[in-house]
Amino acid sequence: MKTWLFCWRNVLAVVIVGFFVIVAAAAPLLSPPDDPENPTPFRVLWGNTEPLPLPPNQDAPLGTVVYRGAEELFHFDVFHSLVWGTRAALRFGLVTALVTACFGILVGLTSGYVGGWFNSLAIRVTDVFLAFPMIAGVWLFRQILFDAYDQLHQATWLYVNWDAPDQPIAIVPTLLQRLLMANWLDPLMLTFILFSWMPYARIINAIVLREKQEEYVMAARSLGAGSARIIFRHLLPNVIAPAIVLVARDIGALVILQAAFTFVGINGTMGVQWEIGRWFSPVPEWARLLVMGREWIIGAYGNPFTYWWMYLPATLALILFGVGWNVLGDRLNVILNPRVS
Amino acid sequence: MIQSQSRTASGDRFKIDLPPLARFLICRVIHIFVAIVGATVVLYGIMAMTPAETRAQLYMPPWDSPGGTKNLLQTIIKEQGLDDPLPVQYVRWASRLLQGDWGWSPIMREHVLPAMLRRTPATVELTLYSLLLFIPLGLTSGAIAGWKRRRLPDRGFQLIAFIATSIPPFVLALVLLAIFYVALPWFPPGRNGMAARSILSSSSFRAFTGLVTIDGLLNGRFDVTLDGLRHLVLPVVTLSLSHWATLGRVTRTAMIEELSKDYVNTARGKGLSMREAVWVHALRNAFIPGINSSAVSAASLVTGVFVVEIIFAYPGVSKVIGLAPLNNVTYMGAAVPDMAATMGFALYSILVVLPLMFLLDVLQALIDPRIREGVTE
Repeated sequence: MKTWLFCWRNVLAVVIVGFFVIVAAAAPLLSPPDDPENPTPFRVLWGNTEPLPLPPNQDAPLGTVVYRGAEELFHFDVFHSLVWGTRAALRFGLVTALVTACFGILVGLTSGYVGGWFNSLAIRVTDVFLAFPMIAGVWLFRQILFDAYDQLHQATWLYVNWDAPDQPIAIVPTLLQRLLMANWLDPLMLTFILFSWMPYARIINAIVLREKQEEYVMAARSLGAGSARIIFRHLLPNVIAPAIVLVARDIGALVILQAAFTFVGINGTMGVQWEIGRWFSPVPEWARLLVMGREWIIGAYGNPFTYWWMYLPATLALILFGVGWNVLGDRLNVILNPRVS
Repeated sequence: MIQSQSRTASGDRFKIDLPPLARFLICRVIHIFVAIVGATVVLYGIMAMTPAETRAQLYMPPWDSPGGTKNLLQTIIKEQGLDDPLPVQYVRWASRLLQGDWGWSPIMREHVLPAMLRRTPATVELTLYSLLLFIPLGLTSGAIAGWKRRRLPDRGFQLIAFIATSIPPFVLALVLLAIFYVALPWFPPGRNGMAARSILSSSSFRAFTGLVTIDGLLNGRFDVTLDGLRHLVLPVVTLSLSHWATLGRVTRTAMIEELSKDYVNTARGKGLSMREAVWVHALRNAFIPGINSSAVSAASLVTGVFVVEIIFAYPGVSKVIGLAPLNNVTYMGAAVPDMAATMGFALYSILVVLPLMFLLDVLQALIDPRIREGVTE
């Protein structure tokens, strides 16, 4: 433990990740919301009619971003969203990466342990999923979600009963659509889980195929251990190390990918969501800040730094988040797989 | 042991004597077809989790005035039998795909497959240049960094690769646009400038390939080529940088591992210089993990291309689903659902990724005889 702390990169990784965890935990202290009972990730500075974003001032330590509504414009506190966005980022990254890892590890373990035709089938299925680009899945689930809204509210002419316009056609949304609409499932999170478990399955599968020939597995079996016991008590602890490294790297990478999708406007959630506290559909506030500051980044007559507070803090937070988890993954790799590195 | 022997014995009866590479190729082609069928099954499986009305959008007839059609979706459900068992539906849908009928998109107001094929050259141009940039650069720089481990080239490579992987591509795109488009008007977004666009649409200009840079050369219009290259610089750099860094890192690790192996010592013992040992013996083996990782992450290239095309307003295939991604697409004041374009894009991208993976696999087999012989350590 002591020698581990001597390497500055280990310390750096722990400090960055720990910083985000502390900020997420202490968000109500760092930036108290207007209504503590019902905290929102966006704090509006009411009564400001200034069309330009406000530079850092007393009310907003990092300035404001301007969001143009239909009739009026709002000033959002950057610092507040930055602090509360840490929660969303951590939550999204952790939930997605852990669920993905569990699924992939399970597939890899069982297929590797059973072997034979089952293993080749599992590998084929893994290959099929590897060919799916994330964007196709995100867009597909987003369309399904939007379509469910259209059907329910008969928002498009497609769903109107033209024979009797006053009697709507009853269309029952499926389970998937209801889960999506209730914000129980985020289309992005669903896609990320569906289409990023394959590396885990592949790597665990390869190790299990090698590891199950080892003597300790034979010994456990000769002692009368069942398959489930061998898989989870004996094989799992011996093969999990690379998966832990992947999880650490994925947490940062998935949050950045989520931000990228939000930035280009295809985050699946409907409009701007104001509620927080939903575990499975966190709003990416950092990316939302970037979306709101988008027009100001290159539109400021040749000087991109005129309104730096609109995008720089959110960008730096994203980069730091990605770097922190990435370095943590690298260092875990050094510790857990000493032979490779 | 006994089991495996009997299996090979029974397998020998049907064995046709083919060179290992040919057998490998046939095997991979069969795998590709299996993967395509599997991918379409997965896609239709996702569609099976939606009501029949959503699936009916895949069979939308081309229309001019939407008011003229009555209870369109219900009619389609009856006509196309979307209440039938799902396997039956899947087979019907797949046979329709094979006939080239990928559905009609109400947003683009045209058939999906021709719309995508028309936009393909632009995307191919973008992807091709970034592949040509980052694969050779990634392999060589990673190999050099691994060879000169812990010396200046390695340190420099590690630093740049670290920065390249830390910056999210969409942030990099914005920074590049801010510097090279707003501050210095060098590299504009889009695909062609105004002058180049009028030259391209003139009757004297023949489109041979659809790639602007190559067509310009073939027609002898170097200004068109230059203009195309000018528009390509920023998207290509954005797309390549993170892929370059990942590929380089994998190659670097592989190089370090290869250099510690016995055959390098043997080569040195025979009297080869370190330079020869690296470039003749170790390099081939060090390339393999990098190519393998590229094959595995080929699908992420499509996602990267999408983000880059949107940010740089590049008119590629992504336009099919992202016609107006920054606003809601509306038609006559109401949002238009467009499942045909969505499914079409998903299918199309899978059909692009699988051959790419196949090519990289073949490349791997060409380099490494163990892979084409099917030998596992």
